[in-house]
Amino acid sequence: MKIPPSDRGTIMEGTAFILLTQGIHGISYGLVLFLAASGLSMIFGLMDILNLSHAYLFMLAAYFAFSIAQVTNFWVALLLAPLAIACIGMLLERYLIKPVHPFGHTPELVLTLGIGMVLLEVVKSIWGTTMLTVMPPESLQGFIPIGYLKYPVYRIFIIVFTIIILCGLHQLFRRTRFGTIVRAATVNSDMVSALGINVPRIYTLFFGFGTWLAGLAGVVVAPLLSVHPGLADQVGLDAFVVVVLGGLGSLWGAFVASILIGLLNTYGIQLIPTVAPLITFSLMVLVLTVKPTGLFGDRQ
Amino acid sequence: MVSSKKIRYCLSVAMFISLFLLAGIVPAAMSANASFNIDKMSDMSDFDPNAVQQPTGDTIKIGYMAILSGPGASNGELFWPVINWVAHDINKRGGIVVDGKKKLIQIIKGDTQSKPAAAKQEAERLILEEKVHMFWGTSGSHIAKVLSDVAAKYKVPFMNCLALSDELMNEKNFNRYTFQTISNTTQWNMALAQYYADRPEKNFYILCQDYLYGHSMGTAFAKWLAVYKPDAKIVGEDYHELFLKDFAPFLTKIMAARPDVLYTADWSPDGNNLLRTARNMGFSQPIANIYITDTDTQKALGVEATKNLVVCYPFIIGDNPQTPAQKKLMTEWHKRWLTWKAPFNKLIYSWPDVTIGQTLADTYWMFDIIERAASTDAEKIISVWEGDEYEGLTGMHKMRAEDHQAIFPMFVGATGYPTKEVYPGAPYADGFSGINKVTTIPAEKCTPPIPEGLKDRLKNK
Repeated sequence: MKIPPSDRGTIMEGTAFILLTQGIHGISYGLVLFLAASGLSMIFGLMDILNLSHAYLFMLAAYFAFSIAQVTNFWVALLLAPLAIACIGMLLERYLIKPVHPFGHTPELVLTLGIGMVLLEVVKSIWGTTMLTVMPPESLQGFIPIGYLKYPVYRIFIIVFTIIILCGLHQLFRRTRFGTIVRAATVNSDMVSALGINVPRIYTLFFGFGTWLAGLAGVVVAPLLSVHPGLADQVGLDAFVVVVLGGLGSLWGAFVASILIGLLNTYGIQLIPTVAPLITFSLMVLVLTVKPTGLFGDRQ
Repeated sequence: MVSSKKIRYCLSVAMFISLFLLAGIVPAAMSANASFNIDKMSDMSDFDPNAVQQPTGDTIKIGYMAILSGPGASNGELFWPVINWVAHDINKRGGIVVDGKKKLIQIIKGDTQSKPAAAKQEAERLILEEKVHMFWGTSGSHIAKVLSDVAAKYKVPFMNCLALSDELMNEKNFNRYTFQTISNTTQWNMALAQYYADRPEKNFYILCQDYLYGHSMGTAFAKWLAVYKPDAKIVGEDYHELFLKDFAPFLTKIMAARPDVLYTADWSPDGNNLLRTARNMGFSQPIANIYITDTDTQKALGVEATKNLVVCYPFIIGDNPQTPAQKKLMTEWHKRWLTWKAPFNKLIYSWPDVTIGQTLADTYWMFDIIERAASTDAEKIISVWEGDEYEGLTGMHKMRAEDHQAIFPMFVGATGYPTKEVYPGAPYADGFSGINKVTTIPAEKCTPPIPEGLKDRLKNK
């Protein structure tokens, strides 16, 4: 079936093309969620810390991206902002979270939520509460023709970038010594420690790595959404849903759950818009009812 | 050759017409109970929204009910310079005489968080603990409804200068303590529908936020479009959750429906996110809106992306004539803005346009009412404000006595190209497309009907 291009420069015609476009939207948004949620999931999986400040670090990264991009460019922001967030994450873990961790989840949750609130106030006092805009770099502006579709380059970049990160994570945990140690520490940290490995240092590094991923997500999302203090609430809740749905601590679970949520969201908007916002949470309730550990998790 | 008799006849007719017009115009102009007097404005050179000194003691306490936290916190920040500008101005004049004593104005913050329960709790705290005399606010009709109920319960006047739903002041929800100075849903959409009545666009897509206000706006636009432009077609209608993360799926639907105009009543951050996603996806059709007026976002998006925005508001700077008072106030504000530090050094604060201009004008009106009532007593304020006519910054504003809804002209402005010289030497839209062409919809053409059950409210008074 030959579909003529639109006379308005938009070339989306026919249900199949609309559904295809919605599918790509779903994947790109899902992958943003994955970036935001993966660090959270991994930190919980290895360290048993449910870090409620994760979403606020994500927000802080978006602000860093704004400021760095203003004096340099987006690419420098993509490099530096996550590193800065990782440093902050490591300091938080070393000096605040680690001393509280032995007392269990409740003090930890209160502490990390408190850290989040402090970060929020810091952001408001430095950047204010009005919306800030980060533009994609010029090379990522414009559209890519996909058949009769034209799709924003930046959203394609998100898909490619996140897949590279996912592959990198896979390689890191399966093919490197650091990954081997981390996986071993997940199973039996005492044994790893007995082998002469400084497990607390590994934990700090790993926490920093998890927050680095939150930083990446913050920078990547900045050209998509306005940067404002509500960003943490806006995306943070979905990130938590991803972690719970995918299974606490499961990276692949987070990946599958992110894509699932992204697709359900976009197709929900296309087909049943009035109930679209409920789909994500309904799915979470359904999955947790049938499998309380989440899709790929083994811990409640 | 024209005879002298004919000349005398013509002159007599001209004089008669002039006298006739004067007889009508002068009393009409003088019929306002009060007017904004720019000459009274204090020297504002020391005003800094970052360093507001609130007076204490026996003051006139105004509860600033705004979203100060959460995703909508930018709204709370936006109006902070506004209310404090007016308070600072009046305080420098020595304050207002109430109950025989001159008192200064104190602004007390109340965080609604955009959540009804939090708004109620905060409003009651401000009344019971802080003893505020009046409420100023607030973003979100669902929150304004809560504040209105609290105002009625504790008999504290509430100026609603931000929430628009018709339902707020209908028979069911009306109370004597709430005054709506912002245009309601009907005024807004009557104005916008009339703007489109004579234009070629025929296919409209409605996308609004999924709560009371969004539905009110969407429904009202469809209704008034059918009245003023019967051949118009609504090609799609959707309502999205507040603070939506990704507009792309909605825009794909919208682009597939191929509307001539996308209508939205979204406020920030949704409005801005919609605009940037739309333009990033290649949707270049006009977006008729109310709140997509964040100049910082627009500057970042650039000239092309900010073309074709159609803004409807009671206060707009463009090619429309502006009163000398308006010009002077705006110039003074801009001059001061150049000295402000973060976060108030952003472009959105550079000119008191649209929401800032309207709330500035309304706040001056509110304090003028208190001054004329010479009291903070709710009953005295009500008696002055009901039916009041105030010559504001943009023309006559009347507070309709029956339903406490302000009536005034509306403006519809379209962006086209960067406007660098709204005022000589002071760039307004530099690097993005500003509002160039403004259409004025006179008050009588966008006056909403009085709710049926309120028509006779004052008959027995």
